[in-house]
Amino acid sequence: MGAEVRQAKRIGLLYDGRASTFCPGCEHGLLLKLIARALEELGVADRAVMVGTVGCSSLGYLLFDSDFVQAPHGRAPAVMAGIKLVEPDAVVFAIQGDGDALSIGLQELLYAADRGIPMTIFMYNNMTFGMTGGQMAPTTIPGMRTTTTPRGRDVKLSGSPIDACRLLSAIDGPAYLRRAILAPRPLRVKGKIFYSAREALEAYRIVLNAFRAQLKGGFSFVEFVGTCNVNWRMGIDESKAFVHEVGAKYFPPGLCRDIYGLEGGGKV
Amino acid sequence: MTAELLRGAEAIGLAALMSGVEAYFGYPITPSSEIMEFMASEQGDPRFPRYRAFVQASSEVEAVSMLMGAGAAGHLAMTATSGPGLSLMAEGISHAYVAEIPFLIVDVNRGGPGLGTTEPEQSDYLFVTRSLGHGGSRAIVLAPEGVGEAMELVNRGFRLAFEYRIPVVILTDAIVVHMRETVDVPELRPVLDGVPPWAVRGKRGRGTRNALTTGFLDSRELKEFKEGLERKWRRISEREAYYECHMCDDAEVIYVAFGISARVAAEAVRELRGRGTPAGLFRPITLAPFPSGALARLRGRGIRFVVMEMNEGQMYRDVREALGPDEDVESIPMMGGIVTRSEVS
Repeated sequence: MGAEVRQAKRIGLLYDGRASTFCPGCEHGLLLKLIARALEELGVADRAVMVGTVGCSSLGYLLFDSDFVQAPHGRAPAVMAGIKLVEPDAVVFAIQGDGDALSIGLQELLYAADRGIPMTIFMYNNMTFGMTGGQMAPTTIPGMRTTTTPRGRDVKLSGSPIDACRLLSAIDGPAYLRRAILAPRPLRVKGKIFYSAREALEAYRIVLNAFRAQLKGGFSFVEFVGTCNVNWRMGIDESKAFVHEVGAKYFPPGLCRDIYGLEGGGKV
Repeated sequence: MTAELLRGAEAIGLAALMSGVEAYFGYPITPSSEIMEFMASEQGDPRFPRYRAFVQASSEVEAVSMLMGAGAAGHLAMTATSGPGLSLMAEGISHAYVAEIPFLIVDVNRGGPGLGTTEPEQSDYLFVTRSLGHGGSRAIVLAPEGVGEAMELVNRGFRLAFEYRIPVVILTDAIVVHMRETVDVPELRPVLDGVPPWAVRGKRGRGTRNALTTGFLDSRELKEFKEGLERKWRRISEREAYYECHMCDDAEVIYVAFGISARVAAEAVRELRGRGTPAGLFRPITLAPFPSGALARLRGRGIRFVVMEMNEGQMYRDVREALGPDEDVESIPMMGGIVTRSEVS
């Protein structure tokens, strides 16, 4: 007999029991769970369309039971625009990696944002190309070693990390721009490591806001800073600590735009 | 039918609107921009309430990706471009081919390769008919000989795109798109009534999701999927290869030409007939699938075939393959966007 196949059962928009293809310690699974829950809480799960990207996030569709179409690398925002313009009732979203959104797909992201077409993009920033094996990404922080920057990212040669929220803040189109840290902060209590629940709870609130912005007719973009412990060659706890201690300096959490006052009307 | 004096660009746009096109996404490029400008001007035309989305994209890459989105959602979407733009669109066409997403691209062939000239050529022939995009992707390719037929082929193109769920290319050139002809405007009906069952627009009560994917985690899965695509292509080849055979019955000389070259060849046929030489014209209307079977039926009659095309002899290979090694087949290539009758006679 071959390997035991567990019968996947569906819980809302997520398949439970289907083997996840994400590496242990990665926050992609958490993000999918938050998105599924938010779509259900908002009562729009039946109108949800996930647009597939290229990178680790592309594996999400195996776990997610909404309508789905795969985009070429970097082109998800354009595919989403195509859907949204002919199916305005659809709730369209994508999880892009930092390479997909800011390297090969920067133009598509920028123009979808500029036109303010209602859609929701979650960018999972793990500072590397995860799926292809840990090469430099536009978000790789200076000095960070990757397979294509074996001596560390040299800003003179390879540039500095691109700040997506600041970049998109320069144009008028977006309705909701936000950055947050998705990786839970490891807390040491009596010699043991516990993960803080705060990041996931805040991320959930942000995911809800991002979809609310689309439902109000706006373009929403959220950058979630997460880990890639495998390609960073770190332990899981170490990678999560790294995001909070080092990553946050380059990618500080915060609200960049909120035209509908979803976060209480505070202007940033 | 009503007779109207129409410019090619306008006729193509009008045919798309009559067929029920809902979205136009494009990027300006000579000599195709007139189609885009016409579609921009038609926004809000009360005669065509289905037409609701026009976007000037930031590149052909973005435009074709938008076509993927609208096509995946089960709506008629189109663009027009020319060689350099079509090269960029090859990415989206490859994805759309395997995801089985329908849309229509009008390629207004200019001189190439590279930037080439903005004069008419037919040099995208091999690119569009062989493998438009990486990994063995294909498109159905239709080539109108003039403004009137362009209208019919736009409608047929959308029908084929949705019937077979495949990208369709109308291969034409600056002559057809820019010239004005008196056209019996055909009564074209909208291609779709309702949303196709495979459309990606949210489950909306459906028990199972619709998922159009282009990536496969398992080699056997891709193998089986591609075998299915090949069966589909064979079905298309058997049923949808169109051509015209004009005065072929008694012909001793048969020109083989498509698009605007066929118009020139038809003139040569008239001239030769006037001088007492029985000449005919075989005109492929679909370039992919190529009407090889119909052409092969002309074998063994001692006919001299003359392949006339505005490129370096690209279709000649298909004609030779269809006719086999024993037939007399001559190639008249015309490059650089120059069409002259003297070269024919």
